[in-house]
Amino acid sequence: MKYEVPIGPLHPALKEPIMLRFTLEGERIVDVDVICSQNHRGIEWIGMNRNNPVQSIYLAERICGICNFCHPACLVMAVEEIVGIEAPERAQYIRVIQSELERIHSHLLWAGVAAHELGFDSLLHYVWMVREKVMDILELVNGNRVTKAILMYGGVRRDIKEEHIPKIKEMLGYYKSLFRKIAKLFLEDKTIKMRTREIGILTKEDALKLSAVGPTARASGIKKDVRQDFPYFAYPDFEVKAITPDIATGEVVGDTYDRIVVRLLEVKQSIEIIEKALDEIPKGDILAEAKIIKIISQIKKAEGEAIGRHEAPRGEDIHYVKLKQGFEYFYSWKVRAPTYINILSWRPMLIDMQIADIPIVAASIDPCISCTNRVIVVKDGKENILTADELHKLSVLKTKRLRR
Amino acid sequence: MGIFRGGGKEMNIEDVIQKFTGYEIWVQEKETGVKKKVKRRSLWIRVDRDKIRDAISLLKEIDKYPHFSIISASDEGNEIEINYHFALGYGGMLEEFPVSFKVAIPKNDLKIRSITDLIPAAIFSEREIREMMGVEFEGLPDKRHLFLTKDFPDGIYPWRRDEMGIKETNKLYETWKEVKNEV
Repeated sequence: MKYEVPIGPLHPALKEPIMLRFTLEGERIVDVDVICSQNHRGIEWIGMNRNNPVQSIYLAERICGICNFCHPACLVMAVEEIVGIEAPERAQYIRVIQSELERIHSHLLWAGVAAHELGFDSLLHYVWMVREKVMDILELVNGNRVTKAILMYGGVRRDIKEEHIPKIKEMLGYYKSLFRKIAKLFLEDKTIKMRTREIGILTKEDALKLSAVGPTARASGIKKDVRQDFPYFAYPDFEVKAITPDIATGEVVGDTYDRIVVRLLEVKQSIEIIEKALDEIPKGDILAEAKIIKIISQIKKAEGEAIGRHEAPRGEDIHYVKLKQGFEYFYSWKVRAPTYINILSWRPMLIDMQIADIPIVAASIDPCISCTNRVIVVKDGKENILTADELHKLSVLKTKRLRR
Repeated sequence: MGIFRGGGKEMNIEDVIQKFTGYEIWVQEKETGVKKKVKRRSLWIRVDRDKIRDAISLLKEIDKYPHFSIISASDEGNEIEINYHFALGYGGMLEEFPVSFKVAIPKNDLKIRSITDLIPAAIFSEREIREMMGVEFEGLPDKRHLFLTKDFPDGIYPWRRDEMGIKETNKLYETWKEVKNEV
C-alpha cells in the first residue's frame, strides 16, 4: 500500500523552510515531490525596483549567509563586464583568496551537518570547533565573520595587510596538520561508511540530464568546475582542476560517501590555492575607482547584458544582469543559486531509499534553502507531519541498529 | 583527452556558430586573469519563438546533455524577452562557454512551447518565469507556483514593468521611501 508523508515546511536535514512530499511503500521511497515557496524574499525584485546598483551588492550578500561572497561576486562580475570596469590585479587576487576562505568554512560547516544527520554529534562539535579557525581569519581580514561587505565594482574594499599574512598561513598550517585526522574520521569510520556508501546514488547520466553542479556533479564523475572551465578573477593563474572522487578512492560511485570525499579534497585544494595566492599576490591598488557616486553614474550610463558565473562551495552560481541607459536600478536581475538546480537531483537519489536515509541524502547535496526559497505559507493541517526531530531520531536509530 | 575530460565532448565555439548558420549570433568577450591573460567568450543566439525547440534540438546534436543553467526574463514594453542560458564543453581550462538563446514573445500572445521534455532540468525555471512574468509554457507538466505562495493573486506578475506588475508594496518599503525623501 502506498501512502504519503509530507516533510516540512521545516526541512529534515537543515532547519530551513522547504517541503518534501514522499510517496512510500512501507519504508521504501517511491516518489518525491519538492515544494519550495515557503519563504521568498523577492531579492531580485528589490534589485530591479528599489536599490541602486551599489546597494544591491550588499543585498546580494544577504541571499545566503554562508555564500555571502559568491553572490555579490557573480553580480559584480556581470556588471563589470557590461560597464567595462577592470579591477586592479591585487584586488583580483584578494577575490580569489576570499572565495577559497569561503569554500573552506562552508565545506567544514557541511561536514558538521552531515555528521549530525548521522547521529554522530561528537564529530559535529569537533568539526565546528575546527571551523572556528577560518572564521577567526575572516573576522580578522574583513572585520566580520559573515556578510563581509568586501566587494565593490572595480575591486575590493579591504586589503589583506602584511600583518594578516602570518596569521592566515598559521591557519593553513593548522588545517594541513588536521587533514589526515579529519579524512580518517570521515572516510574510514565503519558506521559512516555503512550509512553513506551506496546510499543516495546519483548516476553520471542523471547528473548530466538534471544539470547538477558543484560537488554534487563532481561526485558523480563530472569534471565540471567554473574555476577550471570558465575562469574568472585571477583563477587562470592557478590552473584549478576539477576534483572527482576517483582521485582518492580510484572509482566513482556517485553516492553520499563520494560527496564527502570530494568536499574533503576541495578543502585541501583551497588551502593550496590560498598559499599560492599569498606568495604571488601583486602589490598595488585594490580599487579602480574610490568614488562611489562616479561608479553609480557610470553604471547608469551603461547599457548591455552579461552573465556572471562563480564556483560557489555548493556549485556554480549564475547571475544575469541587464542594464538600460538612464535606468536607475538593474533592468533585469536573475539569480540562479546552485541549490536551485541541485534540488532536482534529490528525486533520483532518494527513490528506493529508506525514510531514515532522507536526512543524510538530502544533506549530501549541501542544500541551502535560502539559495532557493526566498513568503510564508500556513499549511492546511490535514497531513500527517513527521517533525524534523522525529526524523532525526529515526536516523540516529538506524545508525544504532547498524552498529549492533 | 579521454577520461580527463570527464566524458565531456570536445567542442569549440566555432563549431557551434557553424551549426547555427542562419541564426543571428554574436559573441561577447572578456579578458580575465592576472599573470596569465585569457579571453572568456560567451555566445548569444537570437531565436524566433516558434523555433526554440528546433534550436535546442540542434544544441543537443552537439552535446547530448547540454548543461542548462537558467532562464532569465525582462519586460521590454510590447514584448517579454527571455534568455535560455546553457553552457557547453566543460572539462578543461577555458573549454567551456555559455550559450544563451534570446527569444522575444509579444505581450498580446504570451505563449511559448515548453522545453522540459528535451531538458528536464528546465522545469523549475519555466515554473518561475510563468509565475513571475506571466509567460505561458505550453506542455509544461507542472503548473503550480514555484516560489510564490499558493494564494498569490492571479494576474499579478512581480517582474513585469507594466500594469500587471506589483502596484502595492508593503509598509516596510513605503516607510523606507519616506525616510529616503526626508533625508
